[in-house]
Order: sequence, then structure tokens, then C-alpha cells
Amino acid sequence: MFHKQCEKEKHGVSLFFKQEMELSLIGLQNAGKTSLVNVIATGGYSEDMIPTVGFNMRKVTKGNVTIKLWDLGGQPRFRSMWERYCRAVSAIVYVVDAADNDNLSVSRSELHDLLSKPSLSGIPLLVLGNKIDKPVSLSKEDFMEQMGLKSITDREVCCYMISCKNSTNIDTVIDWLVKHSKSKT
Amino acid sequence: MAQPLVKKDDDRDDEAEYSPFLGIEKGAVLQEARVFNDPQLDPRRCSQVITKLLYLLNQGDSFTKVEATEVFFSVTKLFQSKDLGLRRMVYLIIKELSPSADEVIIVTSSLMKDMNSKTDMYRANAIRVLCRITDGTLLTQIERYLKQAIVDKNPVVASAALVSGIHLLQTNPEIVKRWSNEVQEAVQSRAALVQFHALALLQQIRQNDRLAVSKLVTSLTRGTVRSPLAQCLLIRYTSQVIRESNTQTGDRPFYDFLESCLRHKAEMVIFEAARAITELSGVTSRELTPAITVLQLFLSSSKPVLRFAAVRTLNKVAMTHPMAVTNCNIDMESLISDQNRSIATLAITTLLKTGNESSVDRLMKQITNFMSDIADEFKIVVVEAIRSLCLKFPLKYRSLMNFLSNILREEGGFEYKKAIVDSIVILIRDIPEAKESGLLHLCEFIEDCEFTYLSTQILHFLGIEGPKTTDPSKYIRYIYNRVHLENATVRAAAVSTLAKFGAMVDALKPRIFVLLRRCIFDSDDEVRDRATLYLNTLGGDGEVVETDKDVKIFLFGDLDIPLVNLETSLKNYEPSDESFDIDSVPKEVKSQPLVEKKAPGKKPAGLGAPPAGPPSTVDAYERLLSSIPEFSNFGKLFKSSSPVELTEAETEYAVNVVKHIFDRHVVFQYNCINTIPEQLLENVSVIVDASEAEDFAEVTSKPVRSLPYDTPGQTFVAFEKPDGITAVGKFSNTLRFIVKEVDPSTGEAEEDGVEDEYQLEDLEVVAADYMMKVGVSNFRNAWESMGEDFERVDEYGLGPRESLAEAVSAVINLLGMQPCEGTEAVAANSRSHTCLLSGVFLGNVRVLVRLQFGIEGSRDVAMKLAVRSEDEAVGDAIHEIVSCS
Repeated sequence: MFHKQCEKEKHGVSLFFKQEMELSLIGLQNAGKTSLVNVIATGGYSEDMIPTVGFNMRKVTKGNVTIKLWDLGGQPRFRSMWERYCRAVSAIVYVVDAADNDNLSVSRSELHDLLSKPSLSGIPLLVLGNKIDKPVSLSKEDFMEQMGLKSITDREVCCYMISCKNSTNIDTVIDWLVKHSKSKT
Repeated sequence: MAQPLVKKDDDRDDEAEYSPFLGIEKGAVLQEARVFNDPQLDPRRCSQVITKLLYLLNQGDSFTKVEATEVFFSVTKLFQSKDLGLRRMVYLIIKELSPSADEVIIVTSSLMKDMNSKTDMYRANAIRVLCRITDGTLLTQIERYLKQAIVDKNPVVASAALVSGIHLLQTNPEIVKRWSNEVQEAVQSRAALVQFHALALLQQIRQNDRLAVSKLVTSLTRGTVRSPLAQCLLIRYTSQVIRESNTQTGDRPFYDFLESCLRHKAEMVIFEAARAITELSGVTSRELTPAITVLQLFLSSSKPVLRFAAVRTLNKVAMTHPMAVTNCNIDMESLISDQNRSIATLAITTLLKTGNESSVDRLMKQITNFMSDIADEFKIVVVEAIRSLCLKFPLKYRSLMNFLSNILREEGGFEYKKAIVDSIVILIRDIPEAKESGLLHLCEFIEDCEFTYLSTQILHFLGIEGPKTTDPSKYIRYIYNRVHLENATVRAAAVSTLAKFGAMVDALKPRIFVLLRRCIFDSDDEVRDRATLYLNTLGGDGEVVETDKDVKIFLFGDLDIPLVNLETSLKNYEPSDESFDIDSVPKEVKSQPLVEKKAPGKKPAGLGAPPAGPPSTVDAYERLLSSIPEFSNFGKLFKSSSPVELTEAETEYAVNVVKHIFDRHVVFQYNCINTIPEQLLENVSVIVDASEAEDFAEVTSKPVRSLPYDTPGQTFVAFEKPDGITAVGKFSNTLRFIVKEVDPSTGEAEEDGVEDEYQLEDLEVVAADYMMKVGVSNFRNAWESMGEDFERVDEYGLGPRESLAEAVSAVINLLGMQPCEGTEAVAANSRSHTCLLSGVFLGNVRVLVRLQFGIEGSRDVAMKLAVRSEDEAVGDAIHEIVSCS
């Protein structure tokens, strides 16, 4: 036992490397959740995606941190199950199609419903407006306004506008995530 | 195949070695299951907890929906672990939880990923689990992967996909049927298990297509099957094809294949082939011989399972072909002392069936020794074997009857005792010398019988047989004892039996009356009523008189009315000035429903009452028709036919028709079902063209106002016909209706409809429709009592026929009468046959017919028809039916 501890002391860096975090990735169907996972993990992007039936579990290592990603299906039948996979995660990442004006209000109410669950209180929230490569997408101000993000005061809330297709702002997202892994330990 | 019989006694000593999970509790394990949610997973620990959960489930513990769902979702978190062992446990527990947990669909995506993984174990198990949780819509999404998996290089993966296909075929047949090509490829696999599963699936896909199954068997019997299990399946499918091919002449198809399987390497294939051969219908002794030879070799095998399988099969063969089995007798005699009791029992009973008279006593001795060691169901087998042995060697009845009475005294369940009693009754009936001793054994048995049913049946039997013996008085004591000692049911039966003795034996009458009078004070109504009835009718209140013949018939004769019909008539009877008329009870016995066909072969009936007939639909028809004002003046319904289908199965509209025959009218009842959910039919009627039925004139019809999806409705058409004439004719039918579209989501119909027609098949009214099948118990008596006054005899040439049996059944169907005394069956190869028929003709006239057939070398059949009836005209009518067709 003693011997092992000495080993760890010596390799202080490796202890730092073992940092882990757990994230839930949610949002309506076709918002780009699975695409985001792929972009973060491999940098690849594909137009041709199939809907996620249930969830995908992915582990991604970024710098010092191993990120466990629960990528959940966004179809209505799965939304009641989101909460189960958000309990005790380091952060909730909520992905929204910022170019789909019609479904924005649904997305907003699903988000606020979820955040009202007592089991999820205080968990940091990252809201991502995806698909800004499309001309019809909203500006960040309009997006935050329509999603009602200002009204969320019981936790840390952050919002970025991204494009998985063009890899816009993906680095920023990763930085935010890595930063929040430290707060957990 | 039979399971090997493992001797359990040996492991008693190791009781100290118990399961490590013994005594774990559900609550505690559910608590432990929280480790699945730990951020740092411990795969070993998690595997252990899942093992405990599986243990609980397999021990019969059940989880509530909430518990199962909670565990299920925690388990899904384990998909993050890459530990192979843990993943396997995850698959197992999901499969166990999937029926009781909600939302198992959530693991679909993860399983789909595993299904395409590089790890074979992941692929195979993910397929099995996925097919368990999937539904029709998801199945189409994963279908492509499943098809690939069926032809996967790895046999475990291919088998998983094939077995899943077998399960899915139940719920999504149309999807699985699309995989035929892949499955066919898998049948050629070199892996034994894959070939086995593929063959099973392929056959199930094609099972409804006889030709396709036949083709499958034809191609595979040429020897591409390597797996012994698949070969066994193939043998089964081959037997099925043989059964269905039905060729009467020449060599049996595929027999050579079955015979060649007897020389296979694998014992299971040899046995399967031997059994298949013995079960061929109408198997000849030449075909049997090679199968019996291999079974004989199995009898001396060192493996108990082979000995058991062989002796069990030989036992069955011995029932139909005892001579074929005699060669094995020496081998079977050595099996009587087999350690395994099941083998010994089967060996003994087989020997009983095949043995000769000289070996009976020796065998009986051996049986007596081990009878107490075997279970009731085997004892029944032995009893039945002894019964048939006794009928075969009537001279041996004494030792066999002794054996039966000995085992009757021993402990045993109802079925076992019933089998013994039935056997004794049959022996008494068939072997006159055995009567007296048999009756006394039965008397002794009811002195201490715990089964009311058996007591009453024996009492009834005593009442019939007892009075005919040389000294009837010796039975009275046993019977009267019942009146004191038993429950009300048995007491009532005993009173009836006493009365029978009184009625049949005049010498005993005064003493019987004394006993009956004592029964008047019984505490039970039924017992008192019976005693009073018998005393009054037998004249117990006055001087001793010879009992009237009418009284005897009234009290003890057969009611020639089906009891079900009597029961419904009595229920419908309302007390009034008019007394209940037993002649008004319909006598027609409704034919048994078709499902009965599959019932296992009948055992010889002993005491048991004849099986109760199905509930009568005659009354239902009568009530239905009399409730319709248009038909109320047609008089009494004479006969209703069984439904005749006027449409093919699975068409848009299913219609069948029932022909109701009245004296002067015929009513067609069309039962219609609309099988299209998107349609509502209104004003449904049948347009009948009676141009080929000259004697009939349409009087009225009654349409169905509305016929929604899947709700049966009836429309009627009534015809008038000349009184008493057996008018025949052909009617063509067209269904006419107004069709309205229905929105399936709301179920609401549109306002406007379209008139439409639908052609139905033709319907015929034939002479047999005017005849009711009513049997007589004793044809000769009925024939004699009818007298020769109205006998009509004539001879007919029926021309060349396929066989005598075919000619006989054609005439029976033509007349629609009830064959009596089993005379509808024609012995194979016989040149002549006499058939006796009975029925009631329109106008409630009894008719009896005697048909004598003869066949010549040129297959020309001649028939002599003799009719006796109460009405001359009916006799002529019968001849007219035959001569006109």
C-alpha cells in the first residue's frame, strides 16, 4: 500500500491525467447532439446521421481529462428519461438547432422543465446554439432571449453559438468542459 | 428426446456445500445495485451484483415495475465499461428485466453499436437482446444487420441471429420471411449449430406452404446435412411430408432416406429415424424390420437414455404390431430388473402385449414385486396392459383378476383406481366366467372407497349386472350398507340400484320394499324422492305384483334423447297447466366441433359415461328464428344445417349460410362478417337467384341494417316450398350492400355511401337436408319392431367406384343419415358390406335403412337398399333420392 502511494507521489502528473468528468448531452431530435460528439471525439462531420434510439455512451480524452458522454436520443419518447442520465453529472450540455425557429419554443420548455427537477439542482448548464452556418440562424442575443436563459439563476449558465459542420467554436466548448472537470474533484 | 434420468440420491451427502447466494435478500441486493451508478466502476463488483439479481429472478423472486425499471436504468450505465465479462452480464440482466421494466427501448442504440462491434461475443449477445426488446418499426431499421449476421463467419453470431429469427417469426412474420435467402445459405453452413438453427427457421418460414416444405426436404435428403441435430429435424420434417403426401400405392416416398439414417454415426439420428419409421401411418412389417433391429441393439446399450428411448418406442409399436416386437422379447426380459424403474415398467408392459399365454403367470409375479415402487401414472400403464392381455387370453382371467383386485386394495389416486375399476368392468363384460368374482371384487371395493364418482358408477353397474347373476341376493348387503354409510350422492345411487334389483328379481321384491321404505326417512331430498318414486311405481304399497314392462322401461330404459337437449328444454319450460312433454325435446345430436379431430386416440371406455355433447345450437336457432315476426308462422323448426361457407377464407367479406328447414318453408340464414376496418356496410342483403330451384318461391327477406368491421350480422331469405315434398335445387347468391368509408383513427363513417355487390358461391338444398341424423341403440330391435308392412326394397347399380368404402360413404352422405353400430367402416379388401342407417325424416318420421353393397372385379358396385319407416311415402322418397342421383 505504502509503496503504491509513493509511486503516485512520484508521478504527480499521472494523477492529474486521471481526471474524469461525466456529461449529459440532450436537446430535441436533429439538434446535432451525436454530430457534436463526433466532432469533439474525432473532428469528423457527416451529413448522413440516423436518429439515436436511446443513448450512445462515448468516452473522449481531451488533454488531461477523460470525458464520459451520455448522448441521449431527442425524440419525444425519450425525453422523460433525460433526467435519469443527468443526475450527478458534472455538467448538462443542451444542444439547440438555432436555425429551426419553429421548434425553439418546444426546446425552451423542455429545457426549463428539466431544470425544475430537484435532483438536478445546481448542475452547471451549457447551452449550445448549433447550425450557425445556416443563414437563417439566430444571433446569440436573440437566441438567449428566446431560450429564456436569463431567467435561470440557480446555477451557472453559459451559452455558445456553434457549427458542428464548420467546427466553429468547438474549441471554446471543449475548453469550457475541461474547465468544469476541475470543479468537480 | 428423453432427458437422461439422473440419480439424485448420490448428492445427498454433499449437503454442506450450499450455494454462495443462499439466503440473500432482494432488498439488500437492490441496495447493492447502486454501485452501478458509481463514477468509478468496479466491474468485478458489478458482475457479482448482477449475478445475485439473476439468482433472485431465477429463484422465483419478482421485482415490481418500479424496482425493475430502477435496476434497469442503473444497469444501462454499465455500457460505459469495456470489461467483457461485465458486458455479458449486462446483456443477461437486460434480457431478464425486459418484460417487467419500462422503456427498455433506451438501450437500442447501444445494442446496435455492439451488434456491429468487432468482438464476436458482443455481436452475438447484442443480437439476442435486441430482438427481445425490439418492435416492428425498429426491426425494419436493424433488419439489414440481422441479415448480415445470419451469414456471419462466426457460428455463434449466426446462430444468435437465426434463433432470434425464430422468435421474431411469431410477432413479425412478414419481415422474417424476407430473410429466406440468407437462411438458405446458413443451412449450408459447416457449423453444426448454425445448420440446425437455420433448418429450423427455414422450415418455420415455409411451414404453411406444403410444396415448399416438400421441396426443402427433397433437396436436403440428398445428403448435405452434417449436424446430427439438423438431421433429426430433417427426419421430422420428412415424416411430416410423408404424412401429407398420402400416396396409397407403390413405394413410400423418402422411406429410403429414413432407412439410410438408421446407419448414421450419431445415435440420436438413428433413434429419430427408427421412431419416425415406427410412426408411419400404415407401416408394413417389411418397413418396420430394420427400425426394430436398431432399437433392439439400443435395448442392451450401457446408456440408460438409449434403453429408455428404445423400450418406450417399442412399447408403442407393440400396441399396433405386437408380432414385430417379439424378436426383442429376450432383451426386454433382462430389462425387467433394470435399475431404472421407468425402463423396467415399459419393458414389462411391452412384454405383456407381446407375450404368449405361457409367460403370463411368470410376468405377473415379476410385476407384483415392483408394483409398489412405481408412480401412479406408470401403474396405470401396467393396468391397461393387463387389461388388454386378459382380453387376449381369456383363460388366464383368474390370475389377472386376482392381480387387479389386489392392487385395488392398495393405496392409489383417483385416476389409478379408475383405471383398475374400468378394467374389471371390461373383463366382466367380455368374459362371462369372470362376472361373479369381478362383481364381488367391486362390492368389496365400495365398502371402503373414498371416491364418490367411482362408488356411484359401480352401484349403477351392479344394478345392471347384479340381478342377472345366479344369486342376486348376496349383493344386497353391500348396496344397502351404502345407504347407511355414505354421502347423499352415493346413497341416492344405492337406492336406485336396490330398486333395479326389486324390479328385475321378483323373489327379492318384498325384502327390497322393506329396505326402500327405510330410505323414505333419509335426511336428503333426492334420496327420499327416489325411494318414494320407486316404491310407488313398483307397487311397494300394496301386494306384490309382477313388474309391468312399461314401468321397467320408464324407470331403467334408455332415454333416447341427448341429455343436453333435455336440460335446455327443461330450463325453458314454464310451469303451467300443460305438463312438460318429453316428445317435444329435439333429438338431433349436434355434430362435434372440428377441433375434436386432433384429440388423442380414444381408450376403451369402461364405466365412464359417454362424453357430454357440445351445447346445443338448435335451441339458439329456434329462439332466433321465432323472434323474427316474418318467420313466426312457419311452424316448428325441423332441422338446421351446419354452416356452409360461401366465401374463401380471408376474403373481404366472410359469409356462411345455415339452412333452416320447416315443413313448408326453407329459411337461409346468411352470417356475414365485414373484415375491412376502413368500411362500414349498410343495408346488407343477399340476392338469391332460384331459377335452378323450381319448387321454391321467395316469400320474404330480411336485410342487416348496418355491418361494422368485424361484427357478425345476419340476413335472412325465406322460401316457400310444397308441403312435405323434399324439394331440391341450386341457388346462386349475391351480397348487395351500401359501402361507406370509415376513418380508422376516429371510427367515424362518411355520410355518403356507394352501392356495391359481391359474388358469393352457390348453395344447394339437397335431400339430406330433410333428414336428421338420429341413431338407435339397437338397430335389429328397431328394425324388427318397425315391421315389414312399409318395407321398400330395390336394387341399384352404382357403376364403377374407386373403392367399396368410397361408395358406402357416398351413399351415407347422400341420405344424410346416422350410421349405426359402426357399420360405416368398411374392412379393407372386403368384397361386400352391409351398412345400417337411422334417421328422422321431414314430418318427424322415423326411417331405418339397410344397405347391402357388393363390388366386382371391374370395380362396379351394386347396392340393395331396404327401407323401413312409419310412413310409406317416406320409404318411397328415400328410394327416389337414390334413384335420382
